[in-house]
Amino acid sequence: MQNEKVVLNGMAMQRALNRITYEIIEKNKGVENLVLIGIKTRGVFLANRIANRLKKLEDTDIPVIELNITKYRDDKKASVNSSEQVAENVVNIDNKNVVLVDDVLFTGRTVRAALGAINEIGRPKRISLAVLVDRGHREIPIRADFVGKNLPSSKDEKINVLVSEIDDRDGVEITKE
Amino acid sequence: MLGKRYLILDDGSSFAGEAFGDLSNATGELVVNTNLSNYQEALTDPSYHNQIITFVQPSIGNIGINPKSYESIMTSAKGIVVNEAENISFSHLKNMSLDSFLKERHIPGICNIDTRQIQKYVRKYQIKKASIVNSNDEHAFDQLQAAVLSNQQIRSVATSKPYLVPGTGITVVVVDLGLRESIIRQLSKLNCNIIVVPWNINFADIKNLDPGGIVISSGPGSPDEIDPIVIKNILAIQKELPLLGIGLGHELISIANGAKVSRMNFGTHGSSHPVLKIITNEIVYPNQATDYAVNPETIDSSKLIITYVDLINGTIQGIRSRDYPTFSVQFFPERINDLDDTLDIFDEFIESIEAHRRSINE
Repeated sequence: MQNEKVVLNGMAMQRALNRITYEIIEKNKGVENLVLIGIKTRGVFLANRIANRLKKLEDTDIPVIELNITKYRDDKKASVNSSEQVAENVVNIDNKNVVLVDDVLFTGRTVRAALGAINEIGRPKRISLAVLVDRGHREIPIRADFVGKNLPSSKDEKINVLVSEIDDRDGVEITKE
Repeated sequence: MLGKRYLILDDGSSFAGEAFGDLSNATGELVVNTNLSNYQEALTDPSYHNQIITFVQPSIGNIGINPKSYESIMTSAKGIVVNEAENISFSHLKNMSLDSFLKERHIPGICNIDTRQIQKYVRKYQIKKASIVNSNDEHAFDQLQAAVLSNQQIRSVATSKPYLVPGTGITVVVVDLGLRESIIRQLSKLNCNIIVVPWNINFADIKNLDPGGIVISSGPGSPDEIDPIVIKNILAIQKELPLLGIGLGHELISIANGAKVSRMNFGTHGSSHPVLKIITNEIVYPNQATDYAVNPETIDSSKLIITYVDLINGTIQGIRSRDYPTFSVQFFPERINDLDDTLDIFDEFIESIEAHRRSINE
């Protein structure tokens, strides 16, 4: 049996992205030296939306790198084709302030993998983490700097982030198996 | 039978109309409200303290008087000018029409005046003061010229003692400069535990209430006439707690962060101006009631980000601090003309309190 519960509607999701955008400006003291890195798939869409917002507010184009972390995952080692590209739209990130963007922060393993992948493309001055949802249950010592919504959840729940670019609407839903 | 009355303006012109409401004479700043609805809200809004409100919408009073629409228990307007005054009551408790409401609150009205004509005239000649009088003789004009409008309006409309509007959620302190009840209503809907405090409270006393965030309310008059303690408090609050400013509160937060506020030639009172929400490129039509605006040239872009702009007159309608979770809007975030696309500014505020708490707990 599945039942869905909407925890963030489209408007609340927009608002969360707005706030994260302002907080990035606040914490980075502006947008100079800033690079966004979105973790595929939905993290990239969220990173692009933040970049659009920064463009509107600060009239500056912030590069968005699309990160493919498959190679660095700790659960799928055998199946990985190591020639797969780790990133698209790559720009120089040496000495940059990098904000890594993902949809859901759960065990922290995805982020750990992403940090490994980032290591392959450069050495940023600082990396911070922005997530739309922090659902808890960390298995490694990782925390987010910018959080859209704290969502204490049980492990058997599934959190779905929907983005209108590839889903039919914006929102965050919980489903219980 | 309605008696003859006059609306006289400080340039010597006069408009004849008929009496309704209270029969006293009144002098005040003349403002023109273009909203299609919400006349009750305007009448009870402390932002209109000592002002004579001209309603451009031709039929006023057509939904009677309902206390649920009040923006304060007291009325602040000095008088009203309308085209057609409707004598309708829907109250089941007693017969309360606009006319009887004005009589009860001792507010004079004048009707059967072409208020659209007045709007054009006032805009063209930049009228400031007006009177509603029984005769438009020289004496009445002399008195209008001599009238000095109060600059101590906050003392008349804002609370002098703190009070609590209990809720089960986050504690929010509202600094009252003459607030509209819709601010309290919206915070209440979000379950906030609201403590309304007088404008001249000390920052230490605010902190002792252990709030999650602070609101600087809207209010009447010029921000330049506000006691400097409010600016001092804003500077202290923004370093430590999330801060939201509305209307006059927005003007004061802007001043505290180095901007200047000036009086507009023609105030904006209505909801017909498209306002651009810069971050998402959305257009909203908020309720506006102001004669002042933050001067864009005086914004220090190393301190403030412009967040909302009025697309008709170019005025700044919202700002945000670069360094702190502080933001403010010139307009009133509330449901108006069946649109509620600015209401979620209060959600934004509560979410920034939650984010702020997370950041200090880590």
